[in-house]
Amino acid sequence: MSDALLSIKNLSAGYGDFVAVESVDLAVKKGQIVSLIGINGAGKTTLMHTVAGLHKPASGKVLFGGEDITGLPADKIVAKGLSLVPQGGRCFTRMSVQDNLLMGSFPRSARKNAKQTLEHIYELFPDLGEMKQRPAGNLSGGQRQMVAIGRALMGDPECLIFDEISLGLSPAVINDIYKKIKRINEEENTSIILIEQDIHRALKASDAFYVMLKGRVALSGQSDEIDSETLKKAYFGI
Amino acid sequence: MAKRRLKNDNVRVLDSLPMLIVCIAAVSALYFVCLTKLASNNTMRYMIQIFLYITMAQMWNLLSGFTGMTSLGQQLNIGLAGYSVAIATTKLHLSLGMGLLMGVGVSVVVALLMSLILYRMEGMYFSIATWVVAEIFEKLFLNWKYVGQGSGMTIRVVPYPRINEICVVALTVCVLAVAAVYFLLRTRIGLGLTAMRDDISAASAVGVNVFNHKLFVYTIAAAFTAVAAGIFLVNKGIVYPESGFSISWTISLVFIVIVGGSGTVGGPIVGAVIYVFLQEYLARFPGWSNIILGAITILTILFLPKGIMGTLQEKLGFEIFSAKRFSYSKRR
Repeated sequence: MSDALLSIKNLSAGYGDFVAVESVDLAVKKGQIVSLIGINGAGKTTLMHTVAGLHKPASGKVLFGGEDITGLPADKIVAKGLSLVPQGGRCFTRMSVQDNLLMGSFPRSARKNAKQTLEHIYELFPDLGEMKQRPAGNLSGGQRQMVAIGRALMGDPECLIFDEISLGLSPAVINDIYKKIKRINEEENTSIILIEQDIHRALKASDAFYVMLKGRVALSGQSDEIDSETLKKAYFGI
Repeated sequence: MAKRRLKNDNVRVLDSLPMLIVCIAAVSALYFVCLTKLASNNTMRYMIQIFLYITMAQMWNLLSGFTGMTSLGQQLNIGLAGYSVAIATTKLHLSLGMGLLMGVGVSVVVALLMSLILYRMEGMYFSIATWVVAEIFEKLFLNWKYVGQGSGMTIRVVPYPRINEICVVALTVCVLAVAAVYFLLRTRIGLGLTAMRDDISAASAVGVNVFNHKLFVYTIAAAFTAVAAGIFLVNKGIVYPESGFSISWTISLVFIVIVGGSGTVGGPIVGAVIYVFLQEYLARFPGWSNIILGAITILTILFLPKGIMGTLQEKLGFEIFSAKRFSYSKRR
């Protein structure tokens, strides 16, 4: 665990009396792709929102690059290099594509290389370069997801969290997005956490995995070593 | 007027040098009219009202149209400013300038204090809370002997400024307010504000300090609204709780912004002109004016949801005072 870029230790979080995440331990190494799998309501999004500063933890610790970031506000965590691509893209619909991307370089730390990063994003997603002045609200689901990824990359993150990136998209678009994620990981050595419900796709894309069930980690391991029966049992809790 | 067609976009933007020249010429002409008393006193009274409504509506638009903080309590700043000017000039015998400064100071302090409660709320809850706070202040002033309780206070400014002097001050405040909103929206803070309007949680996720941004914009709006309201109430000569803290102030601002075009800098300018003349016309039908204004607001929402400026910009394919950023180098 000591070489982990992101280290979650005994983390719990919830909503009022309801405990959504209970005593979770999770680690992500530099340049590693980790998938976080689980059925609806397993606590995946709450866990990652807590890590990203969008939700207050009840107890436990989050270390990023060896630094304690537990309970820090989201803007401070983004500035440290940990970004979240929220579920459904969540673009700023009345802003142009370019302004959406520039929002990603909002933290002071990301502004220095923003121009080069923007060019790199247009190279990574050529479609976005063609529609930079179009309001993001006029884009398709896949295009919005690309904007959301590009926006997160603008912050020059060391670790990216993708929250159910394939939700509501066609298989062809999902394949394309997963190829881009792989490229980001390989070219930038960016650590990636994929929150997914699609077990097979997540395992195929990741180096390691965690299965969550009822707010706890039910199973974890290397993606290429797990057999489907064990995984199925952990996933459904049977 | 230069029309710049943008690559990959069907919107032309009128914000180039010729547009700046037109704006400077228009403002200079208005200053000339005020300073040389070219217009009659009556016309200048209308001009003062228009300038001050533009200022207040511009601030409500900044809060609601650009940041997503729909305040129903702008009358709080108006009442506080009116009473501050009245206390400063009538009780403490200070100058009008000091009175206006006091109004801004009090409004800003109250805005900062309110931030502790109000910014924990969003959407409808924020709107209702701002209204409730304004109502509480109205009741406080209704029972405060020092400020004349329900009878209120007369505002005695000595020496009383001439109407053209008030007109110049109102115009200056108005120009500063429009310029402040326009330039603020083109900065990184403005980018953060519009992101908050579209999705506050996503804005936070990309690193926008939501609390600080809300505090900044709410304080700016309080300051400009207070100075405009101070001038407005000096012109009326009296302030009492039911007028200063009346929700009808905010209703007027909502009308101006909705009809003019929410989320556009030009909207409040067009809306304020319409409102002042409509209000004058509707004065002939006492009791009906608020009903008619309300009906116009609803019809606008139904048939012109983007208001006059928003619809014109969409139909004709141009934008005036656009807050859009066109290239990275320009925005920096």
